[in-house]
Amino acid sequence: MENSRTLFIPVILGTTRMGRMSLHAARLVTGELSKRNGVETELVDIANLPLPTNDAGEAIKHADFSFKVSKSDALVIVSPEYNHGYSGLLKHALDSCLKEYIHKAVGIVGVSAGPFGGARVIENLLPVMRELGLVTIFWDVNFSNVQKAFSAKGDLADESYIRRIDKFLKELIWMAKTLRHGREQISLD
Amino acid sequence: MAETKRKMTCPDCRVEMNHHCDKLVYATDVPPAGAIDPNLGGFIEEFHTCPKCGSGASRHA
Repeated sequence: MENSRTLFIPVILGTTRMGRMSLHAARLVTGELSKRNGVETELVDIANLPLPTNDAGEAIKHADFSFKVSKSDALVIVSPEYNHGYSGLLKHALDSCLKEYIHKAVGIVGVSAGPFGGARVIENLLPVMRELGLVTIFWDVNFSNVQKAFSAKGDLADESYIRRIDKFLKELIWMAKTLRHGREQISLD
Repeated sequence: MAETKRKMTCPDCRVEMNHHCDKLVYATDVPPAGAIDPNLGGFIEEFHTCPKCGSGASRHA
């Protein structure tokens, strides 16, 4: 019997840079997630997390961020690609939790101004996800030439992304349900 | 035969939680006496989830 509790899948926006185009991508994915039956979502902007930078890891755990990750069944991470990598502040925020991630699903949305749609940042995030105990899906969303994908106001200019996001979210939700069943019903012993 | 550990109980639902993960932790802090497994080089943290409400909990093995 399928668990009837709502899935909670927050979308983490992984950049604090002024003028970030990833905000448009994160809002779009959050909006598409919110249309799904049985799914609750919320945009979690790391720019709003007042994490200190004179320490790191679980020592700087932020109560609200920790609560949301604990409550989640899966995460979406929206990450721009900066010099082929992810932002240091995204890693700083992710490292503030650990047990909150165990055996939960994660999907990654890459964003770039160039033609590769954040493919390299996604590859760089995969080993981090694994060590955090998250389970990655094999669908990604790649926003290439992001300045053309959205208008200046943030409206989607390329409707083909809707189809890609739909496939990405279907896979993520399936994995979230499967892992929730495993966490709750399948014993390690 | 290995000793069976006591199950964790969800503090809200009062039901047995499911033990679904062991994580090997390499602590830089001084661990509690006897916590380090000499064969693994660290200590094991167990993760448990409540089948009723989905909340998680952990403890040192």
